[in-house]
Amino acid sequence: MKLLEMRGIEKSFGGVPVLKGVSLTVEKGEVHALLGENGAGKSTLMNVLTGVHPRDGGTIWFDGQNYDTMTIRESERLGIAFVHQELNLFNDLKVYENIFLTHEYTTKFGALDKKRMKQEAADLFRQLGVEIDPDELVANLKTSQKQLLEIAKALFFQAKLLILDEPTTSLNNAEIDHLFGILRKLKEKGTSFIFISHKMPEIFDLADRYTVFRNGTYIADGNIADTTPEKITELMVGHSANAGELYQQREVGETVLKLTGLTGEGFHHIDLEVKKGQIIGLTGLQGSGSSELMQGIFGTTPVHSGSVEAFGKKVPANSIHKAMRSKIAMLANNRKENSVVPDMNLLENMYLAEHTLSATKFHIQKGKEQERFHRYQKLLNIKAQTSADGITSLSGGNQQKVFIARWLNTQAEILLLDNPTQGIDVGAKEEIYALILELAKDGKTILINTLEIPEIQKVADYCAVFYEGTIVKILSHSEINEKTVMLYSTGSGINEKEKVV
Amino acid sequence: MNALKQPKQNALSKIWSQYSFIFVLIAIFIVYAITSTKLTWSGVMNIFRHSAVIGILALGMGMICLTGEIDLSVGSMMAIVAGLSVVIYNMSGSILLTLVCALLMGAAFGIVNGLLVGVVEMPAFIVTLATMLIYRSIAQYLCQHLPKNLIGGGSSVYKMDSGIASYQTFYNFGNGKVATIPVVGIILILMTILFVYISTSTKFGKKVYAIGSNQKAAAMAGINVSLIKMVVFVIAGVLVGLGAFLWIAMNASADPATTGNSYEMYAIASVVLGGISMSGGKGKCLGILFGAMSYTIIDKIIVALKMDSLINDAIKGVILIVVILIQVAGPKLKEKFGR
Repeated sequence: MKLLEMRGIEKSFGGVPVLKGVSLTVEKGEVHALLGENGAGKSTLMNVLTGVHPRDGGTIWFDGQNYDTMTIRESERLGIAFVHQELNLFNDLKVYENIFLTHEYTTKFGALDKKRMKQEAADLFRQLGVEIDPDELVANLKTSQKQLLEIAKALFFQAKLLILDEPTTSLNNAEIDHLFGILRKLKEKGTSFIFISHKMPEIFDLADRYTVFRNGTYIADGNIADTTPEKITELMVGHSANAGELYQQREVGETVLKLTGLTGEGFHHIDLEVKKGQIIGLTGLQGSGSSELMQGIFGTTPVHSGSVEAFGKKVPANSIHKAMRSKIAMLANNRKENSVVPDMNLLENMYLAEHTLSATKFHIQKGKEQERFHRYQKLLNIKAQTSADGITSLSGGNQQKVFIARWLNTQAEILLLDNPTQGIDVGAKEEIYALILELAKDGKTILINTLEIPEIQKVADYCAVFYEGTIVKILSHSEINEKTVMLYSTGSGINEKEKVV
Repeated sequence: MNALKQPKQNALSKIWSQYSFIFVLIAIFIVYAITSTKLTWSGVMNIFRHSAVIGILALGMGMICLTGEIDLSVGSMMAIVAGLSVVIYNMSGSILLTLVCALLMGAAFGIVNGLLVGVVEMPAFIVTLATMLIYRSIAQYLCQHLPKNLIGGGSSVYKMDSGIASYQTFYNFGNGKVATIPVVGIILILMTILFVYISTSTKFGKKVYAIGSNQKAAAMAGINVSLIKMVVFVIAGVLVGLGAFLWIAMNASADPATTGNSYEMYAIASVVLGGISMSGGKGKCLGILFGAMSYTIIDKIIVALKMDSLINDAIKGVILIVVILIQVAGPKLKEKFGR
């Protein structure tokens, strides 16, 4: 029996269609895997279902009834609960307070009936087999307990359909088993789940049926039992063409960057050798450790053991400044937060990093700095009128070029580019790729971390695929394609562990 | 017609938004010129003299505010440095040694604030609130418990010993004039020039702005945020030392209970009136001079009008609110009703 039926759902943001008539059907008491790459439209559809975004077209049937409009309140009343990836809990409140927030029980004098709330919370946890003290502060819970608390909270208010958005990203294997055990029990009782995950083993372990989206369109659905991870990956990726036309083979020099057993926050046991002039793509699912590795090399996140060698010399850990002295530069992800100094102009934004290396020369020689800016402006094709323009007046792509100039200006030889095309339009992306290849040709050594595999296909000589904090496979340029990368980054092809360039 | 008018308007509003402190000073000065019965040159020059100590404290406060922090302890710090400087002068009789010690003591007190805020990363408001209490309390305690001859024989104030040979020189320095301009005023102007230079044309200055504008991005660009913050607090401390030195040169004494009282607030007000953003990253050090002088002129207007000086702070507070209101609400109103 159908619990939810969404048909022909359409949604655009600012004229850009994100959902192009997609459909999704969920049966009562099943785990339904919703699959697709980043940006395929999964989250948007879930936001339409829960009433966060009004839909532009299509129909929603829930429990045999048609709903013309859906609001957050309505979806809550129907028993649809969205367990977000970033947990929506209040750390400074207690467990039971989180469950009952805005639904508190009161005594007849208007005071909170804490005893009853704690009692009912404890009863629920016992039913679920969850070991959480209702009186504990949420801040003191483990991440897995928080995840379970979110689910418990939804169940307390008789949720019929739970949307789980990558619920296992921060859990270890034992915790995942426990969670899945609970989900199976609930499933038997008739609760339905929409399960969003990128990890194939999990999907094949837990889900009954699946639906695949690609670029905002419905691609396929079916029973998990009738398919394989390879087939699903192919459905998700599709047949993307015209990659790699910019790429050409280059001469490479000797090893300039050597990582030995590097272990730190979010990554472990990384061995990697990179030669002068090489471009290495790092990829993996969100949180798989590729971005963390870059931050570890650059000294922004803690490194616990292992070593980084640049040009034959050890790079001291945990210091940005020392990494810069070793001719390493990092173009950080999340440009607005980590790169943009909003109150400064282009020139100032450019010279800032270099000035930390030449701090003893106190005075700023404006003429010289101006000259350098013009050189980089020409080299990188930065579209700006003058160097006195504010950084925020530029488009994302041009801002990013200013920050590339910031790092080239430090005379860095090893460039770590963390998601360099984030929030940049397509044309500017192509320019950045060409630029990366050009820089490598001039002898810069480049590591580029991105979740978008076509990007890696365009520029990388080798691609290191991350899964759960470590490199599981290194692919040469000709081996890089979305299907293979997806296979390894979802943990499907892990039997043959290799770690060589 | 409209197309021609537009850029002109923009240029004017740009000057207003960047140099509003000049207009504020001019407006207040005009009121002063009208209210005071006879406006004299020396009267005008007196504005510099009376702005000197606050202005110098405010320069340090300005640097701290540019990083997005705050220092509530400068007033108390000035009381203790001034008091101890008097003691040192009474012991040594040397003006130079007194100056050096004043600057060093200021630096030392600044390091305490800087370590706790910059390195330990405690909130500046809390740290400097605590040191504000500590510094003044110690200043008052020592005044009661030091040998009487060291504090110049007084009971509740630190007094410079008028028997010392260089006493008159020292006092003349604090109250003298060069080409009709008060010496202390000249020092204020020189310090302002120095800090305008530091903030606009040095690598250190740009780092201060960068930290206030986006601390995370500044750190990611390799800037040692802890160190720069620490240095900024030390600079503010040294300037407090200089302010304390000028204070005793002008007054020949320091009262630990009243010297520098509320000066942290006047310094912050001067900084804000000078156009520096309290959240950091924006504003000009030049504005601080104008901010400090604007407040001094308000004092003079009240004297000229023979008003009760107790109303002083009320007027200063209102002016601060009005100026900031124009800055904050102006653009919003323009957006709503504009064109």
